[in-house]
Amino acid sequence: MADNGMRQTLFTLLTILCFSTFFISCNQKSKEGMLVLTQMKGDVPAGDYTSGKMWRYLPTARLVTLQPDNPKGTLQVLTPDFYSACGPKIAYDGRFLLFAGQKNENDTWQIWEMDLSNKKTRQVTASSENCIDPDYLPGNKLVFSKLMDKGTLKSGHMLFTCNLDGSKISQITFDPSTYLASTILQDGRVLTIGKQLLPNEKKGAFKVMRPDGTKQELFFKGDPTTSIHSPAWEMGSGKIVFAASNGQNQNSIISIDYNRPLHSMTNLTEGLQGDFYGVSTLQDEKLLTSYRANKDNLFSLYEFDAEAKTLGKPIYQDETYQILEAVAIKSRHRPKKLPSEVNPEVETALLMCQDINITAMEDEGNDKTVEGATRFEILGIDASLGIWDTEKDGSFYLKMPADTPFRIQTIDGNNQIVNGPGSWLYLRPNERRGCVGCHQNNEMAPKNRQPLAVRKDPIQIGFAKNGNDIEKYVIE
Amino acid sequence: MKKTRLLLLFGALVVLGLLIYFPGHKWARKHVNYMTAVTDHPLKCTSCHLSTSKNAFIVKMLNEDYFSPFNSAVSKDGSRLYVVSQDLDQLLVVDTKEKTVLDHIMVGVHPHSVILDQDNSLAYVSNQWSDNVSVIDLATSKVVDTLDTGNGPSGLVLSADGRFLHVVNTFGSDLSIIDLTSKKEIKRLVTGSDPTGTALSPDGKTLMVTSRRARMVPYGEPLVSDLTLINDSTQLITKHMDVEEAYLMENIAFTPSGDLALMTLIRPKNLVPTVQVEGGWMMTHGIGVIEQNEDGRIVQLLLDEPNSYYSDPFDIVISPDGKMAYVSNSGVDCISVISIDSIRAIIKSTSTKRLETIANDLGMSSRFVLKRIKTGANPKGLTLSPDGKKLYIAEQLEDRIGVIDTETLIKEKSIDLGGPDRITVARQGRRLFNNAGHTFQNQYACYTCHPDNHEDGLVYNMAGKDMGRNVTNTQSLREIGDTPPFKWNGKNQTIYKQDGMRFSTVLTRTEQFSYDDLDALVAYIKRGIKYPPNLMYNPHGELSEAQLRGRELFNRSEDNLGNVIPENNRCITCHPPPFYTNLKAFDVSTLAVTDDSILFDTPHLNNIYASAPYLHDGRAKTLEEIWTIYGQDDKHGYVNDMTKMQLNDLIEYLKSIRASEYYQEEETEQQASFVKTD
Repeated sequence: MADNGMRQTLFTLLTILCFSTFFISCNQKSKEGMLVLTQMKGDVPAGDYTSGKMWRYLPTARLVTLQPDNPKGTLQVLTPDFYSACGPKIAYDGRFLLFAGQKNENDTWQIWEMDLSNKKTRQVTASSENCIDPDYLPGNKLVFSKLMDKGTLKSGHMLFTCNLDGSKISQITFDPSTYLASTILQDGRVLTIGKQLLPNEKKGAFKVMRPDGTKQELFFKGDPTTSIHSPAWEMGSGKIVFAASNGQNQNSIISIDYNRPLHSMTNLTEGLQGDFYGVSTLQDEKLLTSYRANKDNLFSLYEFDAEAKTLGKPIYQDETYQILEAVAIKSRHRPKKLPSEVNPEVETALLMCQDINITAMEDEGNDKTVEGATRFEILGIDASLGIWDTEKDGSFYLKMPADTPFRIQTIDGNNQIVNGPGSWLYLRPNERRGCVGCHQNNEMAPKNRQPLAVRKDPIQIGFAKNGNDIEKYVIE
Repeated sequence: MKKTRLLLLFGALVVLGLLIYFPGHKWARKHVNYMTAVTDHPLKCTSCHLSTSKNAFIVKMLNEDYFSPFNSAVSKDGSRLYVVSQDLDQLLVVDTKEKTVLDHIMVGVHPHSVILDQDNSLAYVSNQWSDNVSVIDLATSKVVDTLDTGNGPSGLVLSADGRFLHVVNTFGSDLSIIDLTSKKEIKRLVTGSDPTGTALSPDGKTLMVTSRRARMVPYGEPLVSDLTLINDSTQLITKHMDVEEAYLMENIAFTPSGDLALMTLIRPKNLVPTVQVEGGWMMTHGIGVIEQNEDGRIVQLLLDEPNSYYSDPFDIVISPDGKMAYVSNSGVDCISVISIDSIRAIIKSTSTKRLETIANDLGMSSRFVLKRIKTGANPKGLTLSPDGKKLYIAEQLEDRIGVIDTETLIKEKSIDLGGPDRITVARQGRRLFNNAGHTFQNQYACYTCHPDNHEDGLVYNMAGKDMGRNVTNTQSLREIGDTPPFKWNGKNQTIYKQDGMRFSTVLTRTEQFSYDDLDALVAYIKRGIKYPPNLMYNPHGELSEAQLRGRELFNRSEDNLGNVIPENNRCITCHPPPFYTNLKAFDVSTLAVTDDSILFDTPHLNNIYASAPYLHDGRAKTLEEIWTIYGQDDKHGYVNDMTKMQLNDLIEYLKSIRASEYYQEEETEQQASFVKTD
């Protein structure tokens, strides 16, 4: 009898457990296959590309989900408690969402993460400055842009990484440039839009770096009229797509090849009238894009076939809201988790240049090798840090303070500048880096030659201790 | 009462189990942490103790016999493909239409290449590890003759008149010319180092032989490899051409018109401090184009792209119309399809002055590579059907022949050779070893610096702390499984540590191996690596008189004057059999000013003849130089009392040392003598 009673109790408990599990799973319905859209009422603000202030901070925007096979169905608002939210990025397992949000109008923008199964949000960053443009990094981390606003000083965004719980915040860019709209390439590197602010502003270009900020280099810059206007998305085919304008008011969808980004730019929407606000990957060669035929229309969501270069029918249009960003909720291949050579306990880094007289001019087919530079000058933010002789083979080898921006120019025996100054550089603590030349062709591998400079100890370059302070170089 | 006793017994057993389990678990954790140098490697005893077991039964149970196709040749009518199965010592006869294997013909040891005679009645198979060529009657599928060659026969080509067989001897670094009438070797010509590839020009006048190793030069001097040109009719060397900054030139092919010869090559960056991978700073891969005109320039072009590398180019074949070339990129499992007309245009517009510049230009490949076609694991030898419509690919670690329709450039159904379906742990490890996917942007595989599981003969600037310091001679991986610790400084107690996290931080610079992959890689390196026998210096295990005298010197405890040599300065003390290492670290007075202060892990000496250059930084080009130039203070063994003849004998003995399996008994004897001495 007692056994029977026990069995009955057990059966009842199991039944309750099964039903509970069923109801819980119904409640936490998978969002796989749905789309997350950024909606915004009113006109799209004109981009302030220098600071990114207008372009990346959309007022009163909200995130919603959409079932693409039932676009007329009700949209679900994901961020009803937010004054504004945008910049959605989906986790690699398709279960979570990162976005930048403002709870109240006067709040700073912070990074939030949402569990898509129950729409619960969790604040990741809690900075006094605006934090935007997050993306997931492998290893439960993220990268984001943080405004380094110094009151009356001109603003710039630096890249930071942190754990998903907001701990271990680490700055990874240190030069006087602003960095926005990061995305993670499958090779594990951060692809971001970088724009030099000092001493003169330059057009934004895609820069790539390891998640610890090391090995930063130019990835894509287009021609002088190209302005990049959206984050990049990497397709399975190895193509990278983004929205950019070409000296006009309207944006196109541009594609570049991961394998050779500097020389593979293709305008996928050439011949198509209209404006493309942004683009993201859907599947295979299919893209999601925010498009409007003319300025009188609102941006709507369309599918775009990157192979056929054709715009499909609209997936979703709204009479009130602009559809500015769209990402598909789906699990995707996790990028490589790159090891880090950064050692925070080391205050310096090493830089070696094979030959300062190797420049891009040599590679452009005119057989004209620029010769003559025998010295080089290191320029800090507001002062020269010294001039040194190169070795006979044109090489030099430096030990630099880490996380400190500098530029290099080459000089001949008569103190005339031969080349430069080049772009800003900085090295992370313990980073070791090599250059083939100065202003060299970015596609040139080094000669297999031991530079004379590394047969000696490195030249020690000393900077002021707070040389990396943003206030030093962010000016009105 | 009985129930209580049972409960008590059960309780006691549980307590006993817990007492054993927790300390045992703690001990196992500590042991695994030490072996792997990480704290989170799964506690799986089988990872190490099963996959790397030497027990014959376990080895048999765990492993499989794979065909591992390496090269092939096709019949004139295209109906038969003859496939070299390197691991099973066979030549497989394949029906290309039905895609089935018709016959298995046993050949010599570790066959390398196969060619057919002009009327397709005979096949010649070079047997790299038995120093001969099998002659096969294709009508009967029988080996009808075995021709002796030099050491390590690989590439084969018939003379223009078909009377002579040219055999490239990889280990001997020469070329045997065999008279097919008398079936005797009539001539041996010196080639570059470690040659394999060979091709005869369409006019039948010039034979070219590529080399895989660069000429040995002091560290810091430019890398140069040898391309040997031989006059087919006079059978004389006409020229040794310098191929600058390149090595591992595996194979070569002529265009049908004879205007160009194309060879595969790698351009290593061993002289550049290894501070980054980005931008082709470690390895680049490409082809060499040899103009067949008066200039005779060698134009090098990279197959790589700025963010993507096509590592370990192995074979190259050219279409009958001379328009297309196909290269197998073994490290990334793909075929690069090349437009030869585009190459002609590039070299026509390139001045000699710019050759070095374009050789390092990662953007060039977009001008001549038409397509990359994915293949199965580790594509090696390529063969085009006579009409050029089918490309056959020996997918070595897939155990099948891939087939590409060259008109559509699309892969067809492969030819399954009938090998095992199961991928063993060691096989998986071998795939990882040969694949560049675990290096940033696929820039190099383990194989790249360790071709044939050995070493590439180069010294690298590993830039341990500062650049320019600690240059390091690549070590062979043959028989290292039982000779811990690893690295020249012996800092890595296991291969797990050697190839673990730090490996990814300083060398591959991408995500580290998963623990399953690391287990597989370690299993392969420890137990899966096969290596050639020492047929050059000790083919039968009987030492020559000089080697016997050398052995006495190696084992001696007194010098020529009868003085006792301190025990720690005798060869045998630090280099006892069977591995000829005591697994300890010593100062042998070879530290360079650019080295950090370290003791040197005593290297094993099995098959040391094949591992030049020597010493940790490769400064000794030969074994002799270890003592004649770099051992004058007698700290690396007491040798300076020896006469020149005695040193020669000692070297002869060292060269005779074979695999460890031959010295297991000597180990016992050695141990016994130590006990006696004690």
